[in-house]
Amino acid sequence: MNATKQLMIEAKGVQKWYPNGFHALRGVDLEVNRGEKVVIMGPSGSGKSTFLRTFNALEDYQEGTVVVDGMELNNDLRNIDAVRKEVGMVFQQFNLFPHLSVLDNLLLAPIWVRKRNRAEVEQQALALLERVGIAEQAHKFPGQLSGGQQQRVAIARALCMEPRLMLFDEPTSSLDPEKVREVLDVMRQLAIDGMTMVVVTHEVGFAREVADRVVLMDEGRVVEIAPPDQFFNHPEHERSKRFLAQIL
Amino acid sequence: MKRLTISLRRQLFATPADGIISVGLLALLSWAGWGVLNWAINSAQWLVVRANAAALTIGRYPEAQEWRLWLLLGMLTSLAGLSWGRLRGASGWPLNDRIAAGLLLVLAVGVPPLLAFGPLNQIRVLFLLLILLLGRLAFSHRLSQALSKRFGDWWALIWGVAYVFGLWLIAGGLGLQAVRPSDWGGLLFTLLITSLTLLLALPLGVILALGRRSSLPLFRYISVGIIELIRGAPLITLLFLGQNLVGFLAPNGLAPDRVWRATGVLTVFAAAYLAEAIRGGLNAIPRGQFEAARSLGLSNVHTMALVVLPQALKVALPAMGGQCISLLQDTTLLSIIGLFDLLGIARSVLANPDWLGRYAEVYLLLAVLYWCSCAALSLGSRALEKRLASPGLQSIPKPQ
Amino acid sequence: MPVPWWRDNRKLGWFIQLAAGLFLLLAIALLLGNLERNLARAGLRLTLGWLNQPAGFDIAETLLPYRASDSYGRALLAGFVNTLRVVVSGLVLATALGVAVGAASFSGNPLLRSVTRVYVELVRNIPLLLQLVFWYFAVFLSLPSADQALQLPGMQLAKSGIYLFGADLVNGELVGGLRLSLELAALLTGLVIYSAAFIAEVVRGGIASVPLGQWEAAKSLGLKPLQILRLVVLPQALRVIVPGLNSQYISLAKNSSLAVAIGYPDLYAVAETTLNQTGRGIEVFLLLLVVYLMLDLVISVVMNAIDRLVRLQER
Repeated sequence: MNATKQLMIEAKGVQKWYPNGFHALRGVDLEVNRGEKVVIMGPSGSGKSTFLRTFNALEDYQEGTVVVDGMELNNDLRNIDAVRKEVGMVFQQFNLFPHLSVLDNLLLAPIWVRKRNRAEVEQQALALLERVGIAEQAHKFPGQLSGGQQQRVAIARALCMEPRLMLFDEPTSSLDPEKVREVLDVMRQLAIDGMTMVVVTHEVGFAREVADRVVLMDEGRVVEIAPPDQFFNHPEHERSKRFLAQIL
Repeated sequence: MKRLTISLRRQLFATPADGIISVGLLALLSWAGWGVLNWAINSAQWLVVRANAAALTIGRYPEAQEWRLWLLLGMLTSLAGLSWGRLRGASGWPLNDRIAAGLLLVLAVGVPPLLAFGPLNQIRVLFLLLILLLGRLAFSHRLSQALSKRFGDWWALIWGVAYVFGLWLIAGGLGLQAVRPSDWGGLLFTLLITSLTLLLALPLGVILALGRRSSLPLFRYISVGIIELIRGAPLITLLFLGQNLVGFLAPNGLAPDRVWRATGVLTVFAAAYLAEAIRGGLNAIPRGQFEAARSLGLSNVHTMALVVLPQALKVALPAMGGQCISLLQDTTLLSIIGLFDLLGIARSVLANPDWLGRYAEVYLLLAVLYWCSCAALSLGSRALEKRLASPGLQSIPKPQ
Repeated sequence: MPVPWWRDNRKLGWFIQLAAGLFLLLAIALLLGNLERNLARAGLRLTLGWLNQPAGFDIAETLLPYRASDSYGRALLAGFVNTLRVVVSGLVLATALGVAVGAASFSGNPLLRSVTRVYVELVRNIPLLLQLVFWYFAVFLSLPSADQALQLPGMQLAKSGIYLFGADLVNGELVGGLRLSLELAALLTGLVIYSAAFIAEVVRGGIASVPLGQWEAAKSLGLKPLQILRLVVLPQALRVIVPGLNSQYISLAKNSSLAVAIGYPDLYAVAETTLNQTGRGIEVFLLLLVVYLMLDLVISVVMNAIDRLVRLQER
């Protein structure tokens, strides 16, 4: 794990088949640099979530290589554990632990995985909750919070592990329209602060503002990769144009 | 009062069919009730119960060592009182609690003389009740709230230590005179075996449930095999197996005491059923919980222990409570293989020519004892469910 | 760089299973070795030939003709037939009672509702074995002699048995009609009352699962409560009820083995006697296990077929 390495994610020729035979990823390549914000878009079933989830071994793959921050994601359990410590993920369904308070949600992993002292993690956690704007909910339970608040807690929970890379899997797709903004604001600030982010989303506005590059996927392949200006205004491929026509 | 009678009359006689049913039921109930009361007061001979109260409650426990059981009871009632107070919090004495306290008072004052307890024992029972109520008072009072909360984390540990201490008091050894398992009997034996079996069966049940859901085929098939085999066999055949065949399997005929053999069988039996209840709980946990935990870097063991099992066990609590009650009732089968649980002692009492034919009296007493124990377990389980429910967390209703 | 096996995601599972499997085989081999040695010492090698030897004991009541000189095999068969007798009639009666009580818990009559509630709560919290011995010893054994038999509609109750469908008093004894021994009657009574309470809960849960809107729509169409139940609610409730009934029926089949406590010679009771006489613990136990598992299987298969039928009808 060379700290001066520029490449955060290096995916080459990734192929994945599901047990039922469905060919989900058909040879995908992607490089993400440190500090870059990459947005992945595409129609449903395009494999974008599947691809994202190969970056923290929630999905395995049969061919190709995925290297995250210099650690290759293969069958080696040690690598998988090491990668998961450095990569944070935010889910569409929030997936907060309902039996723990908000604060305990944040403290769980740093205490048990990084073996840190509870008191100091608590300080950090409270600061994070402050950063995402819900410090006063620290002792409430997830069931008592709104969707937008829960997602912000989820972001804080992932950040509490001090990851080098943050993955977002359609973070706002389950939210009421009024709540989408508050979550995107947090993500925007996170981007400004320099976090390397890969985001699967349909939020075009966010992509335009924050993304360094936009990746379009369709049917398990990468169709086009381009900076947002170019992608949204002058797309090269036919399929990109069709996709944009649908969503814009 | 008048409104009540009018509304009752309207409901009970809404249609002619309803009217007939109501009249018929009332007639049947009053006839049956009168018959039972008449029998209970006039023709029933309650001497059998009074003369055998000791045997029924503690079996053949040596009289000289009875003080240990009183000590145990004292410890349990004080802990129970404190727990009661803690559960209620600072809400004072709501109606339910006052009714319960009153009922307990009536029972504590009225029943011991009926059962021909000596005056010393009657005082002891009253004393125990006072301890219970004092404990309740102590921990529900405003001033002791802070103390009660601090105890909160250690509560399970305190009960655990008390349980082990209680086992030592019962069994003896290490300073106290040993009392063999074959001398434990009656209600003491039933409650002891039930609690012991439950404690052992719970972890075993978790293991079986996890094995049933394992992705490794070997463990899955073995778990399914064990669970289905045990659930398909009548308990009596398994107890039978335990008593008669363990001797064949053990080296050189070295077999543990009959009581422990039966406990072992009951444990495995209960574990198989508990496993199904726990599996229901595990199935209710969405996959996202696993994924979130893994994505945070938590190992498989940590994920299970810290995230999934706590939630799954809470969901499975109603079904597990039902299993507890079944287990208590299943201990009666120990009487068939010749062990002296409550029913076993009762049957041996009835076999005594002095008490020939007194079946109804003895069995009625037993029915009351079992019913009260099961009802208490039921209430306790429901109270536990409410206590453990995280705010906002929906638990899945008990499967039919 | 090849990944060592203890860190390999794909291989680790197989290695764990291999290790566990070997350990298990070792343990089983050890136990079987002990078994073999102890059996040999007692002169009881595993075989089924002894089933042909004469049993030498009587069976109190059998549907199947049986004499003490018949083989053990026949004795066990007679016991099995007795078990079937109890299970089949028990299932029918318990279902009838359970459905009635379950439906009654929705009646408009509060007295009826309370009675059903009390019945269920009472019966569910008292152990079945206690109920059985109570019915047998405290109730049925204290019935009067035949000449003073208790008269109920359609049946006469006396010390010599329960007589259904007309029996005549001849020389101080009751003859004719269908006679149930006291043991069978007590077993059936206890089993039926106990199982019906649980079946009632299953039925209640099933009916409760039908949305209120169904009741309201049917009522607004002018259907009477009993018709609503029969034509609209019960068919839908069956979806939920049938799986629940499956487990209750299997419970009833297994609970029939408690007959041994009140002297009814069911399969388990006969098996116990056989074991005491022959010492053939393992064979007898395996036989029992197989038979009860088969019984469970048959019940499950039938219930699954009914389940599919119920679900088909709704499409």
